[in-house]
Amino acid sequence: MSLFGATSGFGSSGDRCLGNDVEVTSPPDDSISCLAFSPPLHLCFQILIMVRCWEVQDNGQTVPKAQTDAHRSGDGSKVFTASCDKTAKMWDLNSNQAMQIAQHEGPIKAIHWIKEPRTTAFWDTRSPNPMMSLQMPERCYCADVVYPMAVVATAERGLIVYQLENQPSEFRRIDSPLKHQHRCVAIFKDKQNKPTGFALGSIEGRVAIHYINPPNPAKDNFTFKCHRSNGTNTATPQDIYAVNAISFHPVHGTLATVGSDGRFSFWDKDARTKLKTSEQLDQPITACCFNSNGNIFAYASSYDWSKGHEYYNPQKKNYIFLRNAAEELKPRNKKW
Amino acid sequence: MPVCNFFLQGRCRYGDKCWNEHPAGGGGGGGGGGGYNSNNSYNSPAQQQPRGGGFGNRVWVNPSQQKGSYIQPSSFSSHGTEEWGGGGGGGGGGGENDWGRGGGGGRRDNVSFSAPNRFSTLGTPSTFERGGGGQQVETIQMDMDIWESSGQWGFSCYSSFKTPLSGFTDLSPEELRLEYLSRSASGEVQIYVNAIKELINQWRSRVQELKVMNPATRTALLAEINNPAPQASSSDFGSATVFGSATDGMESKGFGAPAPAASNTFSFAAPSGGFGSLAAPGFGSALAAPTQPPSGFGSSIAAAPNAASFSFAAPSTNKPAATSGFGSASGFNFTSTQNAGGGGFGSGFGRVEGLGSSGFGKTASPPAAGVGSAGGASNSLFSHESNTTPEELNQFKAKRFTLGQIPLKPPPVDLLVV
Repeated sequence: MSLFGATSGFGSSGDRCLGNDVEVTSPPDDSISCLAFSPPLHLCFQILIMVRCWEVQDNGQTVPKAQTDAHRSGDGSKVFTASCDKTAKMWDLNSNQAMQIAQHEGPIKAIHWIKEPRTTAFWDTRSPNPMMSLQMPERCYCADVVYPMAVVATAERGLIVYQLENQPSEFRRIDSPLKHQHRCVAIFKDKQNKPTGFALGSIEGRVAIHYINPPNPAKDNFTFKCHRSNGTNTATPQDIYAVNAISFHPVHGTLATVGSDGRFSFWDKDARTKLKTSEQLDQPITACCFNSNGNIFAYASSYDWSKGHEYYNPQKKNYIFLRNAAEELKPRNKKW
Repeated sequence: MPVCNFFLQGRCRYGDKCWNEHPAGGGGGGGGGGGYNSNNSYNSPAQQQPRGGGFGNRVWVNPSQQKGSYIQPSSFSSHGTEEWGGGGGGGGGGGENDWGRGGGGGRRDNVSFSAPNRFSTLGTPSTFERGGGGQQVETIQMDMDIWESSGQWGFSCYSSFKTPLSGFTDLSPEELRLEYLSRSASGEVQIYVNAIKELINQWRSRVQELKVMNPATRTALLAEINNPAPQASSSDFGSATVFGSATDGMESKGFGAPAPAASNTFSFAAPSGGFGSLAAPGFGSALAAPTQPPSGFGSSIAAAPNAASFSFAAPSTNKPAATSGFGSASGFNFTSTQNAGGGGFGSGFGRVEGLGSSGFGKTASPPAAGVGSAGGASNSLFSHESNTTPEELNQFKAKRFTLGQIPLKPPPVDLLVV
């Protein structure tokens, strides 16, 4: 909360903010594919080409990073680990994202996909080489890691769960509860803070909540529709948008989804209710994340290619917004 | 107040007590419960502006209710269920998904449409499959309709009921973007644009095809869906009983050692006990019996899915040149199986009979023709090795078929193990 006391330093431009959301200054030029907070409130953005980092306290100071690109496969993009070390890591455009997990955990492993689009590599940040590389049946579209579990969603509706204790190994392949292409996945934890399931979003405006070992799969696992255009008006067919990212609140266990429709929504999966939907932004929202104590919800507005190249306008400004998340994401019924 | 969807369909259980709005005249319009008319979809030619469709969401709600009613009747205890929880169920219904409809929150325990449940129902063979075939098709049609009209991402695989449907490529926006960027870097944007156009056209035509669902598409679709359920699919055969029993009877496999049971079951292979039984196993193995060696050829075909596909696949693809393998057993045998193969696909049974009898030397020409000409008897039990692609060969050589890659042709005869 004190963070927002320091907003004067931010110099938000005022327009394009939803209510009191703070806009991050000097946002990146290219689309934002991933956001991550690391504990000391650094906001780390990864875009197609560059990794940029902001320190949220200060005046949107950007720490420029070296860029990589697929053709040259140069290295040098930095990623923050829990201890704020800067570890150089190789990642390229084929491999979409590099992700961080549970920053509080001990051995931090960052996962990313290496050059061949069908491989997942598990890294121990202490060593420069991947400690393990697994072949996947299909191209990886998204993944999430919460030690000791990792979930990877691939093309052709593939879904693989890995267990990361000792050597990462495949734990289970799951039949996708969704009918269409997977777009994003996020692991959630149970009350004992152990990863117990995941939320899977597709291009069809639908999210599936899936538990790994539920007592009653038929009842516990479910899907819900989101990011669709029509509310109660059933006369016209609705527009359906892809769910671009899902993020769980670290404290409340509620989740946020952001979609191609330029909105974000908060949900309570235990009460199976929607908590809030935002106003529509100009551009699709491509990434979102919470900071470690759940006070800040960051979301990025930039073009996600959902309408092809015709709608790609490099002149359009991309935005990253920070929102106070402490209140809005409280679960509907006090489950936690 | 939100409009009551059930009332619009003419099936609101609360009537005047309903908390939702019952618009005047809405009941009549939506009255036809199961009346999802796929023909309506023709009215909206342009994919991106489908607003005129009066059949729109209102009708879409119905199928999901219908699906609900046979999958989980008990779970429909409130109005809210349609809005969420339908495990992957297409259907528009309430649009923007409001879990806590009516302003409340509250648990919705009744919603348990999760995908696993639906799939488990699908898993129960035969009765569901037969009756449900139509339902599945309707679901697919509806989904296609929604897909087309909703402006959602087109380059996605699609699957209802566990099996991915063919004709859909899975491409993520990032992959496309990457392609675009690399092309524009080398100045070849036009290539990218053309490729995208091509892909879009393919997608559109496939969606259209599935929406229209002419008989050919329908059968191909059902074949795909039913493929993973080997036991059930064999029931689609007209001559199911023959195969069913033939499989039971199948043990021995030498050409000269007919399984006695088998001979009985092969109802129309009258010619002789020996012949009939030879033919029967030959049939059964190729078409229905997963592990039945076609008398003497010990098929290593693991899955009956082949059977189903045989019924739809054009038998003409099977080259009689495979008969060379048969020939090794004995000319007699060859003929018989050849004939059997000829009749193998339901419609040809009568022919089998005729040829069968001729196999005994009564009429030399048909069998000879069958034996000799590659082009003549287009139906044969086994394909020629050169006719099978490497992938198919791998499938045949593998211990089990991989779902989605089950060859539509019969195996080359020399892959069969006694």
